Amino acid sequence: MSTQTPALLISGLQKTYGNLDVLKGVNLTLTSGSIQGLVGLNGSGKTTTLECILGLQRFDQGEVSVLGLVPTDLCTAQGKVTAVFDSPSLNPILTVRQCLQHASLLSKQSRRHPKDLEKLLGLCQFSNFPIKTLSLGNKRRASIAHALISEPDLVIMDEPFNGLDAGGVDEVLLLIKTLNQERGTSFLLSSHQLPYLEDICSHLAILHEGKIIRSGQKSALLRSETNKVRLRTNDPVGAASALQTISGISCQPGTMDEEIWVSSDVMNAAAINSHLAEHRIPVYELATERASLGVLFRRLTQGSDS
Amino acid sequence: MSLSSLTQALRSEFYVARYALGARLLIFIPSAAAAVQFMASKIADTGTAARDGLMNSVSFDDVTASNAWGHFVDGLDTGITLLFLLLVAQAAYSFSAEVENGTMRHQLIRCSSRRLIVMSKLLQLHALALMGVGILIVSSYLLSGLLWEFGPVVEDGFELISEAEIRDEITLGLRLALTPLPAAIALGLLLSVLANTATQAVVSALGITLAMDIFKGMLGDYAYYLYASFQPALIDQSYLQDVSRLVRGYSDVLIDDRVIQLNYWVPIPTLLVLVTASLIFVQTRKL
Repeated sequence: MSTQTPALLISGLQKTYGNLDVLKGVNLTLTSGSIQGLVGLNGSGKTTTLECILGLQRFDQGEVSVLGLVPTDLCTAQGKVTAVFDSPSLNPILTVRQCLQHASLLSKQSRRHPKDLEKLLGLCQFSNFPIKTLSLGNKRRASIAHALISEPDLVIMDEPFNGLDAGGVDEVLLLIKTLNQERGTSFLLSSHQLPYLEDICSHLAILHEGKIIRSGQKSALLRSETNKVRLRTNDPVGAASALQTISGISCQPGTMDEEIWVSSDVMNAAAINSHLAEHRIPVYELATERASLGVLFRRLTQGSDS
Repeated sequence: MSLSSLTQALRSEFYVARYALGARLLIFIPSAAAAVQFMASKIADTGTAARDGLMNSVSFDDVTASNAWGHFVDGLDTGITLLFLLLVAQAAYSFSAEVENGTMRHQLIRCSSRRLIVMSKLLQLHALALMGVGILIVSSYLLSGLLWEFGPVVEDGFELISEAEIRDEITLGLRLALTPLPAAIALGLLLSVLANTATQAVVSALGITLAMDIFKGMLGDYAYYLYASFQPALIDQSYLQDVSRLVRGYSDVLIDDRVIQLNYWVPIPTLLVLVTASLIFVQTRKL
């Protein structure tokens, strides 16, 4: 598969529920072979965007192309596009094995053997258990196995880490990385688990109030974020005035007592400490907060209800 | 809609049906109910025969009571009445339950359009109904033959109705009773497409079916334009119940040729309207 062909192209996507504009012109491109993370506050329109992409909801305006197909024709892709939904969405009366066998009936694509996937996702011992008897985490594993059985080219996952324990998350992250590297499978992951997305995604997009407010390669996005230094001192007012004499530095009071947040492109934590020592201001706590998706996300969506 | 996609959707439907309790109940409950009825009738007949033996009295009713054809038709009537109710409920459950638990979304994304799913469910329900009817007929025939004896209706040594005539009447009765079945399935499926939950769909489907049964009497002659007028029902008479009397030698059974024609033709446009409505509404609803 060419790495230049977009696996997913969304342009000007708009969706309204009654008087509520849920999506106000979403634009997003997912390059083939990439892992795209989609983050947003509750109610920002992530699930609606995914449902529009998958043809499960009609949208009012805009264009969506999934592997070159319009969402309503997605079924003709015969399993090249699959999804993991926020709820397990598997037939509760079927066992794990039956569910996977049923999934392989749904596509003409080359199929993995259900046993392989059970082994890969740690479901072997639950193979003959009905889905309804499984824990949420194992239901999640089963639904991921269900999505991967047809060896898809694009997998869309809504909250794939919900209900998984730490080991389960590691397995799923590893599986996504392996499939992406070995088969070139593209992924669109929507989740509130920002550290996991930051760990695995090559591209990120932040959806806020129905619009993509920031998107691009993860490295480029995070590079744009300034590192912050958090310090605590007995004299926060003196420390702030001593630091603000230097251009390129801004200080903000923190939420804890005697805490200051320092944003700086010109000084690192050690330099800040030396500078304050010169001014005889003792610092008793000092930490650098690395630019992260969480920081970027909170900064961009600050002031909104979550 | 390509044939291969329809075949794929049907394979998926039948795979799930293999493990679904609802599908098993649909196939076996009518036969089981008929079997229970046979047992109850046999016990009652034996009791009556013992009483008559003690009183030394033999009536026409006693002679006809031992003829298996009458019991066979009674069993069919009970089974088909139940089959109708179960089918409507199963049809109502089929689509709405899959929407509710989210499983339909996988099918929509991977292999079938919304309309194709509706059509595959319609075909699958017909196949289940055929299996149910087949098993009902075979098991009722065998069991009634085991408990009673098949033979012509005879009074004072004179054959009133031959076995060939009885078979013809039963065939006609079955044909008339089963003709509204596709319309009943389509009603359940339409409600399934419209409902928000499986419970809502099943309750409304059974409610409407029973309501039609109750209120069709108030429609007078217009009731003949309602498919439900011809289906074997809990409350009202159907021709199959008349056949039961006919094969027992009662000669007061009359069926108007016009009613037979309406029985054959009214369910067809009803079916088309209900299926068309399902195919339209399925396109617009959120899945």
